[in-house]
Amino acid sequence: MTLERNILLAFLAGAALLPFAVSDQYILHLAIMALFYAVLASSLNLVVGYVGEFSLGHTAFLGTGAYTAALLSTQAGMPMWVTIPLAGLVSAVFGFAIGAITLRLQGPYFVIVTLSFAEVLRIVANNWIAVTNGPMGLAGVGQNLFGDVAVTDKAGFFLIVLGIAAVALYLSYRFVYSNAGRAAVAVRENRYVAQSIGVDPFGTAMQAFVLGAFLAGLAGGFYAHYISFVGPEVFRFAFMATMIIMVLLGGKGTLIGPLAGAVIVTVLEEYLREMQELRLTLFGLIVMAIVLFLPNGLMGFIAQRREQQAARPPLNAAKERTV
Amino acid sequence: MDLFPQFLANGLVMGVFYALSALGLTLIFGLMRVVNFAHGEFYMLGGVSGWFVTNYLGLDFFSGLIVVAVFMAAVGWLVDRFLIERVRGQGEEPGILLTIGLSIFLVNGTLLLVGPAPMKVAGAVAEGPLFFGPIAVTKLRLLAVAVGIALIVGAHLLIRRTRLGAAMRATFQDPMAASLAGIRTGHVYAATFALGCTLAALSGMLLASIYSAQASVGGLISLKSFVVVILGGMGSFAGAIAGGLLLGVAEAMWGGYVSMGMVDVIGFVLVILILLFRPQGLFSIRTERA
Repeated sequence: MTLERNILLAFLAGAALLPFAVSDQYILHLAIMALFYAVLASSLNLVVGYVGEFSLGHTAFLGTGAYTAALLSTQAGMPMWVTIPLAGLVSAVFGFAIGAITLRLQGPYFVIVTLSFAEVLRIVANNWIAVTNGPMGLAGVGQNLFGDVAVTDKAGFFLIVLGIAAVALYLSYRFVYSNAGRAAVAVRENRYVAQSIGVDPFGTAMQAFVLGAFLAGLAGGFYAHYISFVGPEVFRFAFMATMIIMVLLGGKGTLIGPLAGAVIVTVLEEYLREMQELRLTLFGLIVMAIVLFLPNGLMGFIAQRREQQAARPPLNAAKERTV
Repeated sequence: MDLFPQFLANGLVMGVFYALSALGLTLIFGLMRVVNFAHGEFYMLGGVSGWFVTNYLGLDFFSGLIVVAVFMAAVGWLVDRFLIERVRGQGEEPGILLTIGLSIFLVNGTLLLVGPAPMKVAGAVAEGPLFFGPIAVTKLRLLAVAVGIALIVGAHLLIRRTRLGAAMRATFQDPMAASLAGIRTGHVYAATFALGCTLAALSGMLLASIYSAQASVGGLISLKSFVVVILGGMGSFAGAIAGGLLLGVAEAMWGGYVSMGMVDVIGFVLVILILLFRPQGLFSIRTERA
């Protein structure tokens, strides 16, 4: 717990120094995307890793946040410090409504029904031309932070997304180590035992789901301003697949895992870009290899190695303990 | 109102293909419990390999169909033995991720090999329309529907009347008891996966003879097949057929009377409603609940 907290703090502190050390715009762009994905992956991890249900509809909240921020900015001309938190709140409201319906289901049914919600939203965004401008999307989302103060360079955007990531990690940390977080883990491990000691599975799952939706909405709001364009593709399954791969590669149910996964996948995708069409083909193969050979993700692998090393030197002592 | 029979006929034609593809998924998802996101890619591979054998190897439609069936059954068998088997019994998550990886690999591998252009499978008969009173149906569609129905009946006979089918039913009732009785459950799982994969692929090839095959079509087909399986009830043979026809007709009616753009939304709204009000599906044989 303290180790996890210290690593997260060290990561954030190291990241805060990055824009002062690096002036290469391309590397800063990569760092921005890595942190954006880190927020998304952390928010998905709250549902997948702590509630233990596999949501394939997380893009619903990313997209809702992105459209909210884009609409507030283009229609009402609101600055970023208003639109991004509002994007989070609107997504949280959607999370509450969708969670109230979907969290009653479990297993493959939950998977399909969350996916259905994301698809419905994508089709609505594609066809409700009066509001969302259909497949043309909303272009020219403003980049002003307060009033007329505009963010003009990548370093500015980097600090904003770093702030969002810090908020996301802080909230996740507080949730995971609160009573609600521990109750959620109890439900994940054994639903009936948790119920028998008075944990309400639906209520705890709902808290994690709404928090996840809120954080995904913040990420979506940031994405709208950074790219300055939002189209129906924010709901697409490709985003979802990237998020899942990050969470599972890093290791679900840990706070560091999604962060590590986001950085690795962003860099890997960029590195493979040089190979053009082969890129996604290889990406698919890598995903399959991860599932087969690293089933608990990198964090699971590291934890396993540490356990093995801790068990090795006093071999006799370890044997006695297990007897 | 005079277009109603025509919409109904179009819906039923599409429904047969949804049913055929969903029948494959009801075996894989409903019985084997693999949330198979590569199902649409098997469908797509059916269309693309159908295009390859009819255009490049110069086979006629029916021998092409047989070649594709054998090829895709082998693909399904190998996928199960080398990939799915290793995550069997670990819940649905590893299976989801594995099939997502597989689908990314298959789509982009196909794009790399044949490119994004639509590919037309040479049909068995000419395009001319036939008129039944107010309804016009092309000969090609009628033939494809007939083949589709024959395949559905064939799959039904395979499951109900053969030794392999009996072994399948035993394995999915109780894998432990089945293996104690001397059934090689590993082979049964692989055979079931191969059958599901073949049904999807043949549906893809039949539909590619009417429209055309495209490397990127798989995602939507996967989702619609899931919709039909949940609509009909997990693992229910009759449910998959009824669900497929229902989805086909509902989409044709919505497209005809309301709006063409939102037509894909129907399936997802149906699935949300079904899971809320009748989670065991419309025609489930089991009383299993979500």
